[in-house]
Amino acid sequence: MKTELTERTRSSKLWRDIKRHKAIYLLLVIPMTYFFLFKYIPIWNGQIAFRNFMPRKGVLGSPWVGLANFTEFFESFYFWELLRNTVMYSVGKLLISVPLSIILAVFIYECRRPHLRRIVQTLTYLPHFLSWVIMYGILLVLLAPGDGLLNDIIKFFGGKRLDFLTNVNAFPWVVLFSDAWKEMGWGAIIFIAALMAIDPTLFEAAMVEGANSWQRVRYITLPSIRPVIIMVVLLRLGTILSGGFNQLYMLYSPSVFSVGDIIDTWVFRGLQEGKFALATAVGMFKGVMGLILIVVSNRLTKRASGSSLY
Amino acid sequence: MENPLAIKTIKVPTVVRMTASDRIFALMVDSFLVVLFFIIAIPLWSTITLSFRPNHFIGTNFEGMFLVPWKWSTAAYKALLGNQGFLMAFWNSIRIMVMGVASALFLTIPLSYSLSIKSLPGRTLLVVIVLIPHMFDVGMIPSFLMVKDLGLIDHLAAVFLPTAVTTYNCLIMKGFFEGIPDELKESARIDGASELYLLMKIIIPLSKPIIMSVGLFYAVSFWNDFFHPMLYLNSHDLIPLPILLRNILMASGMNEFVEVSAFGEAPVQAIKAASVFLAAIPMIIAYPFIQKYFAKGTLLGSVKG
Repeated sequence: MKTELTERTRSSKLWRDIKRHKAIYLLLVIPMTYFFLFKYIPIWNGQIAFRNFMPRKGVLGSPWVGLANFTEFFESFYFWELLRNTVMYSVGKLLISVPLSIILAVFIYECRRPHLRRIVQTLTYLPHFLSWVIMYGILLVLLAPGDGLLNDIIKFFGGKRLDFLTNVNAFPWVVLFSDAWKEMGWGAIIFIAALMAIDPTLFEAAMVEGANSWQRVRYITLPSIRPVIIMVVLLRLGTILSGGFNQLYMLYSPSVFSVGDIIDTWVFRGLQEGKFALATAVGMFKGVMGLILIVVSNRLTKRASGSSLY
Repeated sequence: MENPLAIKTIKVPTVVRMTASDRIFALMVDSFLVVLFFIIAIPLWSTITLSFRPNHFIGTNFEGMFLVPWKWSTAAYKALLGNQGFLMAFWNSIRIMVMGVASALFLTIPLSYSLSIKSLPGRTLLVVIVLIPHMFDVGMIPSFLMVKDLGLIDHLAAVFLPTAVTTYNCLIMKGFFEGIPDELKESARIDGASELYLLMKIIIPLSKPIIMSVGLFYAVSFWNDFFHPMLYLNSHDLIPLPILLRNILMASGMNEFVEVSAFGEAPVQAIKAASVFLAAIPMIIAYPFIQKYFAKGTLLGSVKG
């Protein structure tokens, strides 16, 4: 009797809550329609990875082929090459950009000249907002084989001119360092914010006790931003199969495909060449691995820092 | 949220004397920042000076960087700004950005506001609906087929609609809405305000900073996007600036811009550099605002709590 009553009040409370928020549900109609059309239809279309997709027959009309597209990809010669290049760029960028961002943040924090600090900060953020098309234009000015600035310098010191963007040995370094050039200032923001949270009396106490600058950085500054460093590294591990489509697509050319082709660029070319089903399978492989990596890195982040992004 | 650009200086207590190692450290810090300044500035400056370089200029790139402004030539800019195709692309980029930001905010604000209401029945389901497409990325081809089936190929909507809601921006905005005190909403409700009135007249005016931040996030990504236009726009009249810029930069032989320059006084390199600079100008003009709101928005999203 009693439980029935509470049951009824509970369900009527739910009804009241729903009725109270009916304007909100109305507000949600358009965003939900949007999500259905632009986010869930693509997920539904993902089934062509398991079909022999023919555009004229449509998604549902094409015959099932099971895992044939996936095995074709795994057994192909480019599978390991794509995986290697993708991971190489993600890990390389992590190893170069993150330490540079940390150093920049610490040095901006330690700098005693407000003008220098402000100018460097403003300038290092700027490239983040330039697209990779613009970056490509700037890199051409720097690296062009005939009349680029860097080749002028190489020639001045008696070296041989180098076509950086078509040379398989130079190309990966161009990718890694152009990314560092573009993103290190932006990446430093989160570390600067963490540095701002350090209690300044810690430094004063350390200085009164006779600690020099090096010791301050070593024993106060770096340990205090350690949790943020761990968080940034873990979150970047979640996107390890991305590698940077926009950058690679702008910079690479057929002569450096062996070191420049990543999963996303290959999928894009697959789309252009009409290999829909195979390229979808490749994209799906990346999606599934990415999902696992995001879940794992999020869990690790949560364990390391006590808070998660979601 | 404190302005991340305003940095507290570490104060050295007056009783402490700078030792030799402190001075070496300070010198290292300063010189690192100065070197970094030049590493970032030189490529930007050489691109800008290259765009103003006259046709008859003889000398190395290094000398070109120190060319005095009264010897600069604006021929490259005249050629580009007098070109119908370039102006059209610029206009298309502006249209994509304006329509993109409008539709993005129109979708993101109600969605993140709903997500921020703790007492909303079905909120968990809503969170799941928003997170699934974010966590599981099926790749570009299923999206391409969707746009094709919706008949959006060769419409500007195909460029901005697929990315009109990003989960990241949604979560940032939700975080801000959650920070608005509940008492404020309750008192408005007691006064008889409807939920819609509450959102339009109280929540949105209070949330101007976050709407600016998220709006700028979207604006920058729409302005810089070249992937979606490349995928979905075939018509010559619709291509936005990044695509045109890419065509100009990749062209080594004859194209309309090289032809234009053949009649003018600007070298091809100057035309390329000038088009790079022109495409970057809106970002540079908006940069002070971007810096102010962007950094804040990023921090709100990443280190809350």
